[in-house]
Amino acid sequence: MSETPLLDQIPDGPWPSFVKEIKKTAELQDKAVAEGKDIKMPGSARALLKQIEISYKDKKTHWKHGGIVSVVGYGGGVIGRYSDLEDIVPEVHHFHTIRVNMPSGWFYSTKALRQLMDVWEKWGSGITNFHGSTGDIILLGTKSEYLQPCFEDMMKLDPPFDIGGSGSDLRTPSACMGPALCEFACYDTLQICHDITMEFQNELHRPMWPYKFKFKFSGCPNDCVAAKARADCAVIGTWKGEIQIDQDAVKEYAEWMDIEEEVVKLCPTGAISYDAEKKEIKIDNSNCVRCMHCINKMPKALKPGKERGATVLIGAKAPFVEGAIIGWVAVPFIPADELFDTLCEIAEKIWEWWDDIGKFRERVGELIWRRGIGEFLNVIGQEADVRMIKHPRTNPFMFFKEEELVESEVVKKLKERGMKWRSFEYEGEEI
Amino acid sequence: MVEITYTEEDKQKVLEKLDQKLWKIKDLAKVLRMNKKVVQKIVMDLIEEGKAAYWSSGSTTYYATPRYIEEYEKRRAEG
Ligand code: SF4
Ligand code: SF4
Repeated sequence: MSETPLLDQIPDGPWPSFVKEIKKTAELQDKAVAEGKDIKMPGSARALLKQIEISYKDKKTHWKHGGIVSVVGYGGGVIGRYSDLEDIVPEVHHFHTIRVNMPSGWFYSTKALRQLMDVWEKWGSGITNFHGSTGDIILLGTKSEYLQPCFEDMMKLDPPFDIGGSGSDLRTPSACMGPALCEFACYDTLQICHDITMEFQNELHRPMWPYKFKFKFSGCPNDCVAAKARADCAVIGTWKGEIQIDQDAVKEYAEWMDIEEEVVKLCPTGAISYDAEKKEIKIDNSNCVRCMHCINKMPKALKPGKERGATVLIGAKAPFVEGAIIGWVAVPFIPADELFDTLCEIAEKIWEWWDDIGKFRERVGELIWRRGIGEFLNVIGQEADVRMIKHPRTNPFMFFKEEELVESEVVKKLKERGMKWRSFEYEGEEI
Repeated sequence: MVEITYTEEDKQKVLEKLDQKLWKIKDLAKVLRMNKKVVQKIVMDLIEEGKAAYWSSGSTTYYATPRYIEEYEKRRAEG
């Protein structure tokens, strides 16, 4: 009879299952032990399942959070977790989480990942979460006494890995892949994320604020890291001047796309007009609100303007239960080459203000609600601007029911070309 | 940047308080009627010297002496 009859039912459901993955890890851990590898937490993955099974039966958690756990010199990056079932599952009595600072844009070589996993196989449960909601690599489950040697082994890797943020500190900054892979990027998200991380190491590793503070960097208004919904300081790439148009490429799109229906009519400000005879489009750039719709639809024909930089939005947060705030525009445009200096300057002013008058566990966005945007703008030395609207939307998430989804012409065309929509297959092959 | 300085007496006052409960810097500064930046600096120096330590709930961070934290952890373990 299985020790985990309730958990065993979970992989039968339609979704990827954490139970299946933890069982796989347990098998790998057993194998590593049998091979004589130096495994410090043998049996911990299986014990974790046992503890969760007991929680399902008891209908309550058996974890206690918090503690003194950290590595020398750091106040954040490790989340203490203890089991109150020490006698039944001693293997997971300590089950601390380590947050590891991921590289900008989440690029890894397989070598880097293998090395990191070897360290984690030795010092921890082997269970990981790629990635946590802040973006860190999450290593789940180790003992207090293994934290320091695990950290030291990570630091010795080539490339080395450092611990990320947790607690009342600067959380690990994250960035979209930006110019490395994406031609929409209006600034170098990877570089600035790296530079900000290095500049504010003290703030990242030594928690001392009222609560957490997050930077997220998106290279364009598509905002692939959802910065405007989740980051206290969201830096979103944008441009000044005219969207670049390649009229020859527009003509190619016109061969198979209904530009009037799919692009012109869906521009939120009606800024686009289309000459169906000449197969050319015109954009009234003074009315463009940088929604990216036309550029996303016709990436070969349209590109962001040449004068590039970023907008800084302030105060977003996305808690699990309620109280989500979407960021407000704090600085409408910072040229790309001034971004780092300006961001450092603004961040330090905000932290000084927030740290001074912020209440316990009050995020910057909540402080702005409480004290008013006027005071905030004085703090960062900005004039009020028409782009600083108070209420773009109350909830940053939009949900659609299956039946509300309408297939676009683009999707139809892609299907005709052999793309299996939403299945990640192309011409029968997995991609 | 202006260098933050303090006296041994200030440091001692902070240390005494840290041995009594888990603190947030701001509250500690308020109770001691000291400048927050100075308290912050003292606490960081005490951490370097091993005389103070962090205690984290995961989402928020507090400070106390290792002795107090050990005692607190023991009480927590006993439920
Ligand atoms: S946010 Fe923009 S630049 Fe960054 S990956 Fe997404 S589309 Fe590309
Ligand atoms: S980016 Fe959006 S607002 Fe601007 S022209 Fe294109 S569709 Fe219209």
